[in-house]
Formats: sequence, structure tokens, C-alpha cells
Amino acid sequence: MSDLALGASSAVAMPAHRTIVYNEDIVKKFVIATMFWGVVAFLVGVVLAAQLAWPELNLGISFTNFGRLRPVHTSAGIFAFGGSALIGTSFYVVQRTCRARLFGGEALANFIFWGYQFFIVMAALSYVMGFSQGQEYAEPEWHLDVWLTIIWVLYAVVFIGTVVMREEPHIYVANWFYMAFILTIAVLHIGNNIAMPVSIFTAKSYNIASGVQNAMIQWWYGHNAVGFFLTAGFLGMMYYFIPKAANRPVYSYRLSIVHFWSLIFMYIWAGPHHLHWTALPDWTQTLGMAFSVMLWMPSWGGMINGIMTLSGAWDKLRTDPGLRFSVTAVGFYGMSTFEGPVMSVRDVNALSHYTDWGIGHVHSGTLGWVAFITFGALYYLVPVLWQRQRLYSVRMVSWHYWIATLGIVFYITSMWVAGIMQGLMWRAYDAFGFLQYSFAESVSAVHPYYVIRLTGGLFFLIGMLFMVCNLILTVRSPTTERPEVLPAGVAVAGE
Amino acid sequence: MDIEASDLIVGIMVSVFGLIGLILAAGATDNEMYVFGLSLAGFSVVFVIGLIRRHYDKAELRQKRLRGEAGHV
Amino acid sequence: MFIRHETLEKNAFLFLLLTLLTIAIGGIVEVIPLFTIETTVEPVKGVRPYSPLESRGRDIYVREGCYVCHSQMIRALRDEVERYGHYSLAAESMYDHPFQWGSKRIGPDLARVGGKYSSEWHYAHLTNAQSVVPESLMPHYAFLADTPLDTDDLVNRLKAQRTVGVPYTDEDIANALADLRTQADPSADNTALLKRYPKAVTVPGNSTAPTEMDALVAYLQVLGTMVDFADPANEKLRQ
Repeated sequence: MSDLALGASSAVAMPAHRTIVYNEDIVKKFVIATMFWGVVAFLVGVVLAAQLAWPELNLGISFTNFGRLRPVHTSAGIFAFGGSALIGTSFYVVQRTCRARLFGGEALANFIFWGYQFFIVMAALSYVMGFSQGQEYAEPEWHLDVWLTIIWVLYAVVFIGTVVMREEPHIYVANWFYMAFILTIAVLHIGNNIAMPVSIFTAKSYNIASGVQNAMIQWWYGHNAVGFFLTAGFLGMMYYFIPKAANRPVYSYRLSIVHFWSLIFMYIWAGPHHLHWTALPDWTQTLGMAFSVMLWMPSWGGMINGIMTLSGAWDKLRTDPGLRFSVTAVGFYGMSTFEGPVMSVRDVNALSHYTDWGIGHVHSGTLGWVAFITFGALYYLVPVLWQRQRLYSVRMVSWHYWIATLGIVFYITSMWVAGIMQGLMWRAYDAFGFLQYSFAESVSAVHPYYVIRLTGGLFFLIGMLFMVCNLILTVRSPTTERPEVLPAGVAVAGE
Repeated sequence: MDIEASDLIVGIMVSVFGLIGLILAAGATDNEMYVFGLSLAGFSVVFVIGLIRRHYDKAELRQKRLRGEAGHV
Repeated sequence: MFIRHETLEKNAFLFLLLTLLTIAIGGIVEVIPLFTIETTVEPVKGVRPYSPLESRGRDIYVREGCYVCHSQMIRALRDEVERYGHYSLAAESMYDHPFQWGSKRIGPDLARVGGKYSSEWHYAHLTNAQSVVPESLMPHYAFLADTPLDTDDLVNRLKAQRTVGVPYTDEDIANALADLRTQADPSADNTALLKRYPKAVTVPGNSTAPTEMDALVAYLQVLGTMVDFADPANEKLRQ
């Protein structure tokens, strides 16, 4: 058991007995897709933010209206950018930590890559054309849901197959999180998308559940898209890349066990906090609130385990800006997993729900945690995968870091102010006991904050473009070449 | 000649998806299903061509190696 | 009782099985009872399936993603009840496949927007929201007025909804197209329509070729109006 505590660094300690040729080609493809979709997601986000500040930018054309573009932004962010990052890193991590080549052969891995990209493109196209299931983060219509199910099952086969064929006796902690993510997302996706198509040749469908039950199932899905896609999956990333970049073992093996099981147990219950004070029965709301508050603990368990992994290697934060991204990500993770439980308390929720506070909260998680931990992993991965000696420019990474952090700060602070302002204006009474403000007054009051939010998003996008330039130059520039090039995909001690 | 099992299984599977795509496009009652069906068929064709191309690239490489021409890749 | 965690770490299938059990519990406890406990959706007098035109309007509401900016759920809070009307009841969305409660109010709640404004106001507002509400951030939906409503698969749409539990009768489905046209034509005799779908609002459209905007307005005008809170039968609902 003690060897496992050393976890990620075990590859360093134990040189490979025989040469395993890992499938790194597939990881490269996902890395490129991650960068591409990151730019797309942030760009659409900036467009939407601009539309909210200046509604003329909707252009009055059906394809460019906010209502149709918003799912393009969320799907591009979560499934395209986040999903590509997760599948790509999981393929990288599972091969290295199991010391086994990807199960199922090259063709299957390639099919998962292209099939997943096909899903994303078709989904985005369908929203713009006016096809949507009308449930947040589950907008793709039934035929696309079936297609994603096929891809996802094959992904599970490849990942779990590799774990089963491993040469290491233990399954490394990062793979626990990746497996929980893959399995739970399959359950959620199928559970939330059972629908009756108008006909087999028609894209439109009607969900099997309605009203209150549909609402509960949707937020069971929706909140755990956060819990398992955007949290558990990225925690898997954290558990590999932070120890690796810091060259330290995971802080506490025992803590990783406790926080893994408690996190996956409690997250599933938290959905009803999206439905406080609604027609959902009180008992369900109370359960949801109780578990959301308890969830604070396992979340912070993960944060402590991630950050404390740096003990003894804090100096690396100054020299390795990629690691700085990863560690800041864990900081943001801690912040939003504290904010979440606070907002899930019914009385806070009465104020915060339906306002921009929620939008701010989501973005502190997605920009601060999801995107930052991905940036950290990409800055680590690209030189390794393309066999370069170093990144093209470390200063450019620093610029990316500061401009993106500033962007997040602009984003979340403006949304806090806007959200709390909306919440207070909606419930304000004048001296005669009448509602003080019309709804329209609350709309014009938040305009300045929408402009600030747009600036924040723009900063984040610019930072992303820095990264894309930097990584392309890392691969292309002769200045980053390695003195001797090793055969592709061969395991190298120390990587 | 000695086609990899994984290439074969994936190739057949993707071809079936392509056929389904064509059927969906043929019967489609709305734009979305039409576009999706045709795209799925197109996707399958391109993917299978890619499979074949990679197969021959590998076979060529193997022969070169046998003749001792190729270095490492 | 204690299994060493090491055992799990060495057996992928055991690990997955335990993970599956762990994540299943919360979902089962929170979702299944909502289907079995009868008080989850207390029956209310007045709630009916959407008329064919309203149902097609709802499809357009879903298609355009109106739910990303408008909620349809008045919470049981004083200010919301005063601003929007009686808090929403579970029964009021019992035929909503999918539910459209929403999660964000960039615009106001629409759960009881029906009857608050005239149909003419809705046409003007959908065409150019800023012309009637200068502060509005809403996109322009003028194109809905230029798009004829597709009624080819109307019957299949209603049948699909019947499959998932909306109680459309054979008679409702047989008369679907006629009802749809009647509701878009103020000069038509709407007695049969109102018998099947009480409180259905006739919109000033074109009965031979209703547009998507006609359908959407018909849907908006019925929102939240089905339950009569003054009716003694709904006594216990009164605040």
C-alpha cells in the first residue's frame, strides 16, 4: 500500500522492464481538439456576453439569436473543450499508470475521437438550426443522444479494458476518478434523455417525464454533469498532473480514499438545490440542501490533497507557470465548492436563484477550475507528446496566467454585484408596501456589470489565444528541439 | 492480407452506421434528420477510407523495414 | 464488513460495481418516490393538455431556447407572488414534456403571462421587444411571423405526447388540424375548440396558413390561466 502512496512518481521509481509503445497519437488529437474547442467556446461566450450588453447584436436572424447560441456555448465549453480534455488526458494517464497500451487498438481509439467530434459538430449545428430538447446541458435531440451513447460506451470499453489489462498491481487514484466519471455520465445521460420521438425520421422528441419529475431528473443530471464531468473527471486530471509536475507523491493516500467515496456518494443527492421553493416537494428540497452542504467537506478534502501535494516543492510555483495554473485551479475549486453549499441553503437561494450570481458561480468553477487545470495539463503535455525540450516561451505562459486570472476576477465580481443587485431589487418594497422596482428597471440596472463581464470574458479569450500560439510554436519552433529524438510513444523514465 | 481485428470490427461497425445514416436521410421529415443522416453517411465513408489508408501505410512501412530501408519512426 | 481498500484497487470490476452502487442510492431515493407518492402532484381543477396550436407554440418556445432567459416557476416567496401571481403548482406543468421551469431570469417569469397582455402586444413584442419595452434585452423574433407553421406531422406530435402520458383522446387527435386552424381565426366558430380546450385564446392570425408566431402567442396566452384560483373547488389553494 505504501508504494501506492507514491502514486504518480512510481514510474520514476520503477524503470520499465520492457518497452511499451503507448498510443500517444490519439492523445495528441484530443489535445489539438481541446485547444480548438476552447477557442470556440470562449469566443461564443464573448459573443453572448456582448449580446446581453447590446441586444442589437442578436441581428434578428434566427441562427444568431441568444436562445439558439447559448447551448452552443455551453456544449462547446462542457462537452467539446472539457470532454476532449478529459478523454485525451484519461487516455494518456491510463496508459502510463497501468503501463499498458490502450485497449481495443488504434482504429477504435480513432473512432472514439472522430465520433465524438462528429457529435459536437452535429449538436452545435442542430441548435443553430432550431432543434433542442429544451433541457439545459442536455439539449441534443434523441438521435444525437443515441450517437453519444454509442461513443461513450466504446470509450468506457477502451478505458476499462486498459485498466483491466494493466501491468501495475494497483489501480492508481486518478483512474478511480476517471472511471467514476465515465460510468456516472453514462447513467445520467441515458436516464435524462429517455424520450419519445415524433417518428423515427423526425428529430423532435418529447421527454418521457413531465413537470416536477422531469425537473428532478433534469437536475439530477444537470448537477451531476457538474459533479462528475466537471469535477470527478478533472480531479482525475489533478491527481496525475499535479504530482507529476511537482515531482511529489500525492499528499495523503487515506484522504484520497475518503474523499473519493464520499464525493461520489454525496454529489448525486445535490440536484434538488436547483429547485428550491418550487413545486418540487419540500422533502426532496431539504435532502438536496443537506447533502449540498455536506458536500463541502469531501470537496475540500480533494482541494487539500491537491494543494498539499506541493509541500516541499512550493518553489516550483515560481519556475513552472504551468503548475501555477494547476494549483490556482485547485484554489478556485475550493472557492466555488464553498460558494456552492452557501448558495444551496434555501434562504440564500431565495435571493441568488434566477440571478446572475448563479452565472458567476458557474464561471468561477468552469473558468477557474476546469479551464485552469486543463491549461496546466496542456502546458505539461505538449512538450512531452511532441518530444520538445521545453515550452516555446515561459513568459508567454505568465502573461496567459495573469490575463486569464484578471479575466476571471472581472467576470465573477461583476456577476456577484449584478446578481445580488437583481435579487435585492426584485424583493424591494417601497414605503407603501408595494414592490419598488419593475422588472425592466432591474434589467437596465445591471448593464454596466454586463459590460465588465464581457471584458472579463475577452481577457480570458485573449489568454487562451496566447496559449494556442505558445503551444503551436513549442511544436514548430527549432528552438525547442530536443538534442536526441526518441522513438515515438516509447515510455521514457521520468515522464 | 492480415487485416487487424480492430480495423475490421470498427470498419464494419462504421459502415453499418453509414447505412443507417442513408436510411435516415432518405426518410427524413425534417431538415435536421436529413442533414444528420447525410453527414453520418459522409462521416462513415471518410472514416473507412482513413482506415484503409492507414492499413496500407502500415503495410508499406513493414515491407520497407523488411528490406531494411526504414529507420525508426 | 471491512474490506481492505487494496482489494478494490486490484479489481477493476469490483471497483466499478461499488461505484455504481454508491452513485445509485441518491438518485433512487430522490427520483423514484416522486413517481409513487400521490401528493407530489396534487390534482387541480382546470389543468388540461395544450390545444394543437398551443402545443405547436410550445415546440417553438422550446426550439428557440426561451427557457434560457425566462423561467416558468413562481416560487412560494412573497415578492414573487406579488409580482407574478399565485405560486406555481406541480399540476400546472404535469403535461409539460419537457418542463420549462428554467433557471435564469434575464427576462421576467412567464408562468402566468397568459392574459396579462393583449395578443396584439405579444405580436409587437415578439417582433421588436424594444418597441414596447425599451430596456429589454430580447432578440427580435420577426422571422416567426414570416414562417408558416408546419402542420404536416401535427398528428404524430400529439400521438407522441400521448405515448408519454398526455391524455389526448382519439377525438382530440382526429380534430387536431381543424382545432389548430380555428384557434388562429377570430371569425371561426370556436365552440367545439373551447369544449375540448377550455380557455383557449383565439389569436388574430391567418386560418389558412397560421404562422409560427400565431402558435407561440396562443401558447403564451394560455400560460398560467388554466387553474381558476377563485373557483371554490380550488379553495385550499387560495393563499
